Amino acid sequence: MGKLPPSLRSANFAVNTLIKTPSPSPPPPPTSKPHYYPKKSQSPKKKPTSNTEPQLPSSIVAFDSTSLSDAKTLFNSLISNSRNPTSDNKFYNAVLQSFSSNSTLQDSIFFLNHMIKVHPPFSPDRFTYHVLLIQSCKSVDLSLSPVHQVLNLMTTNGFPPNKVSTDIAVRTLCSSGHEEQAIELVKELSSKDSPPDTYTYNFIVRHLCKNRPLSTMNNFIKEMREGFDIKPDLVTYTIMIDNVCNSKNLREATRLLGVLSEEGYKPDCYVYNTIMKGYCMLSQGGEVLGVYKKMQEEGVKPDLVTYNTLIYGLSKSGRVKDAKKFLNVMMEEGHVPDAVTYTSLMNGMCREADPLGAVALLEKMEARGCAPNSCTYNTLLHGLCKGRLLDKGMKLFDVMKQNSTKLETGSYGTFLRALCRNGRVAEAYDVFDYAIESKSLTDVAAYTTLESTLKWLKKAREQGLVI
Amino acid sequence: MLPQRMKKVMTDNPKKLANLIDLVNLPSTLREFMGQSQTSRLGCFKRVWSYIKENNLQDPNNKNLVNCDEKLKSVLLGKPQVELTELPTLIKLHFPKQPR
Repeated sequence: MGKLPPSLRSANFAVNTLIKTPSPSPPPPPTSKPHYYPKKSQSPKKKPTSNTEPQLPSSIVAFDSTSLSDAKTLFNSLISNSRNPTSDNKFYNAVLQSFSSNSTLQDSIFFLNHMIKVHPPFSPDRFTYHVLLIQSCKSVDLSLSPVHQVLNLMTTNGFPPNKVSTDIAVRTLCSSGHEEQAIELVKELSSKDSPPDTYTYNFIVRHLCKNRPLSTMNNFIKEMREGFDIKPDLVTYTIMIDNVCNSKNLREATRLLGVLSEEGYKPDCYVYNTIMKGYCMLSQGGEVLGVYKKMQEEGVKPDLVTYNTLIYGLSKSGRVKDAKKFLNVMMEEGHVPDAVTYTSLMNGMCREADPLGAVALLEKMEARGCAPNSCTYNTLLHGLCKGRLLDKGMKLFDVMKQNSTKLETGSYGTFLRALCRNGRVAEAYDVFDYAIESKSLTDVAAYTTLESTLKWLKKAREQGLVI
Repeated sequence: MLPQRMKKVMTDNPKKLANLIDLVNLPSTLREFMGQSQTSRLGCFKRVWSYIKENNLQDPNNKNLVNCDEKLKSVLLGKPQVELTELPTLIKLHFPKQPR
């Protein structure tokens, strides 16, 4: 197929797919890409068996052998044995994908050529090449040559890489730990005519944040801005702020906020939530109130996460009174407090040595139809043990056992210490058993804690601190 | 903060973890009780504790005490009665530090 101007290409492609595949599989719009993509990367052996082709026996599509000649024989028998081979491209793509999952890229390309030759009605579509693209990205080592090979193949066969190809390639490269190559590829594709869309771009940024030093991401953003005029959007900034907050880099976060407004973006609810979370991470929970006020000044409507973060931050910094006030505020605003809200508040109350108040809140939340989660129970157990209300703690533990709630390391340790301090070693052993039985902790972790607690008890007894 | 601290102990002190979970050739007394020739300190502890539970050896009046039967006595220094508190320490005696 000859080269087409870019404007025509997508249209041409759409028509092609409509003719060839009766089932609706036009190129997915950018928004649905994340949903589409996982379908492709599903365990390949499952796919052909499930829904692609009922008229063919399913077992034959499993390629146990990695040898190309075996695969060719299998395909030949597949075509010749069925009287009416399917015209659905999905089937052939699945066959190719199944083969590619345990063969080399070269073999897959040979196999595809073989498929076209043996069964002319099958004409590969964009998704066929994307199967190869995924494989090539997985087999990237230091150079991008396998990817180039597939991209060239795509172009010569009339499917020049588009946004979807870019996205698929980038995601596969990043998830196999080839971030540098992904960046290289994106730059290369941007200089041709398939620049990444915002989803791909933000995916890279998020991935770089997690796995590479900050400077790598900053360089990437700079290069994209200077080279291809692709600028970070509000979501990108949110990702970046979240990242620096997680690594407790407040100065960078403040700088980014400045850049954000310079770029003409108005922080939205998510940005503010991220900032609030950042303050909580930095153990400056008290600052959340300032952020909340700023939000109100700017007229940004807080959502459930805002209130949860707010209550969490206030509780953490010992301002439970304010936190309680916001529980009422959020309910007036029509938000339904969830387990996170209540647990944060309980955490605060336990910190203020008011575990009984926290238990009362548990009853209240259950009455309001909100089910506590394991975090809630662990917070309460911790609080009750710290507050020397061991009997209540024991009762709570019984409830936890009934619900088979898992223990967390922190509350497990506190609970053991409280039991031993009160001379209830046997019960401590029971808790140890439960921790192992419910798989809350590893055997080693559970035992180490028990051992050190008993050692501590012995010492305390020698010093006459505990009877 | 406890998980982090524990993790730190584990990573700082791999030897400590190793002498807990490494399989060790058992002395003859322990071999008889365990019914196997190799076990780790953790495995031995779990076996002894489950033996106590299975045979209801905890003192009915004070659950923190264990009245040893003959078999258990052979493992726990021949004491007729042991406290649950000392159980890890007693078992540790069978697993001396190995010079490496």
